[in-house]
Amino acid sequence: MTTSPPTLLELQSAIRRDLLGRADGAASEYIVPDGLAPQARLAIYRNTASSALLGALRLTYPAVQALVGSEFFEGAARRFIEQRPPSSAHLDSYGESFPDFLAEMPEAASLAYLPDTARLEWAVNLVLHAPDGKPLDLRRLEQLDEVDIRAARFLPNPAARVLGSHFPVDVIWHAVLSRDDRALADINLDAGPVWLYAHRGASGVEVDRMAQEQYRLTAALLAGRPLHDALGDVPDARAPVWLAHLLASGCFVDVCLSGQIPRRTTGRQVT
Amino acid sequence: MDAASDASQNAHGRIPACAGVGLRFRHHHEVVEGHPPVAWFEVHTENYMGGGSAPAYLDAIRRDYPISLHGVGLSLGSAEGIDVRHLARVRDVIRRVEPGLVSEHLSWSISGGVYIADLLPLPMTEKALTVVCTHVDEVQTCLQRQISIENPSTYLRFRHSTIPEWEFLAEVTRRTGCGIVCDVNNIYVSASNHGWNALVYLDALPPESVTEVHLAGHSVRQLDRGQIIRIDDHGSRVAPPVWELFEQALKRFGPVPTLIEWDTDVPALEVLLEEAATAETAIERQRHDNQSTYAT
Repeated sequence: MTTSPPTLLELQSAIRRDLLGRADGAASEYIVPDGLAPQARLAIYRNTASSALLGALRLTYPAVQALVGSEFFEGAARRFIEQRPPSSAHLDSYGESFPDFLAEMPEAASLAYLPDTARLEWAVNLVLHAPDGKPLDLRRLEQLDEVDIRAARFLPNPAARVLGSHFPVDVIWHAVLSRDDRALADINLDAGPVWLYAHRGASGVEVDRMAQEQYRLTAALLAGRPLHDALGDVPDARAPVWLAHLLASGCFVDVCLSGQIPRRTTGRQVT
Repeated sequence: MDAASDASQNAHGRIPACAGVGLRFRHHHEVVEGHPPVAWFEVHTENYMGGGSAPAYLDAIRRDYPISLHGVGLSLGSAEGIDVRHLARVRDVIRRVEPGLVSEHLSWSISGGVYIADLLPLPMTEKALTVVCTHVDEVQTCLQRQISIENPSTYLRFRHSTIPEWEFLAEVTRRTGCGIVCDVNNIYVSASNHGWNALVYLDALPPESVTEVHLAGHSVRQLDRGQIIRIDDHGSRVAPPVWELFEQALKRFGPVPTLIEWDTDVPALEVLLEEAATAETAIERQRHDNQSTYAT
């Protein structure tokens, strides 16, 4: 029996440990039994918290759930939640490392494409919830002279992401979510890598395929590489068309001539 | 309410003393297209952080209805302080939505840098009271507006609690000037779970501080030794004894904005409208009773 009352910090730490499955009995000692064991009382909160996070992961990873089945997904998600709980109440941003967690699960090793399918779903989630960015006004580019253009960097739209994978995860994702069994059966996992661009389109999140060099150019520009350097890295005659496509899709929100543009993760490149 | 005053109210976004409905994603399109007869809507603040389609729908709905923002993530009772990044996200949503009311909970959810996705109970102690008041002050200063605090539904009590929950909540209001969201279902659930007198709870809340009432359904779980525990799951219609307690609340607080909440297995919008109509009838009855009292 605890002899002195806990501080608020001690009490909340003990409850956190208990609810995250690392119970040491401390939390129970602070609770009035009152006809029902403290552990049973704490379990009500544990179930609610766990269910809320499981629901958040289900919303973000519906294709993963469909691929592995609800039971397997729930087991994996509950282990993930215990090991990597969220740090804030903004649950739209929870679950970024779930694809890596799946990649480390021996039970999922036979589904080599599963982690990258999850990475695509995470990219889609980011695009879905990203702050609204007003696409770059192309008249801004017209005002730049040749010297300016050499130094120009684009500020990326938060709702634009790129992703590469050894597997046709875009086809898998689409077939699973549309429950298209024929398309699923036709998937050739050995067809070679895919290079993807996820962005907001007229009807919601769109995932477009890119050529590998197009992907390299897009990833470099999204990472803040100066336009001149990015084009130099990708000596391809189609580059101006690709750039025009990116500008038309609202990939950038501004253009800067000097200084640093904050870099950000643009997706995982599988090489 | 005539059309002109109705439009004026909407323009300012003030929440009228009528029944409102908790707006959930599945009803977005129906509300935008069908324009249902609801006096106001309340949304969960955390569901509208960032951009994309959900905030865009809310922008459209806000043009026609007053909106109340109800948050779950500020963890006002956390010993570790307020998550200032989350507070900034709340502030951004407020700037976009211009809500009539902003509310949070008398609870905590963050410990050791971990967010526990539930509204956890506080020990009812002087120390916890100080922590909550400090954080309410901090939030109200940052947001430059009053917030309201909702009484929790609880399933446990701490041995070292010294203050009745109703006195604790009233004291938070007195010290910080915050409002109270009186969740009548939560009072019923907690009173039942802990053997409290729900009317004593209602009597302790200063009527002038009650900015809103919440109503929702709860479930009843049978335990091994025949005891029951009530769980606030927002997954059914408002229970008859909660409607009765709502009548008592109205007698004490007068007509007050009243929300129908439903979060688990969210039903068709018409079910929520039926519940809101029941609440509206009770509010109207109270309004009539008040007028009769003043007339005599």
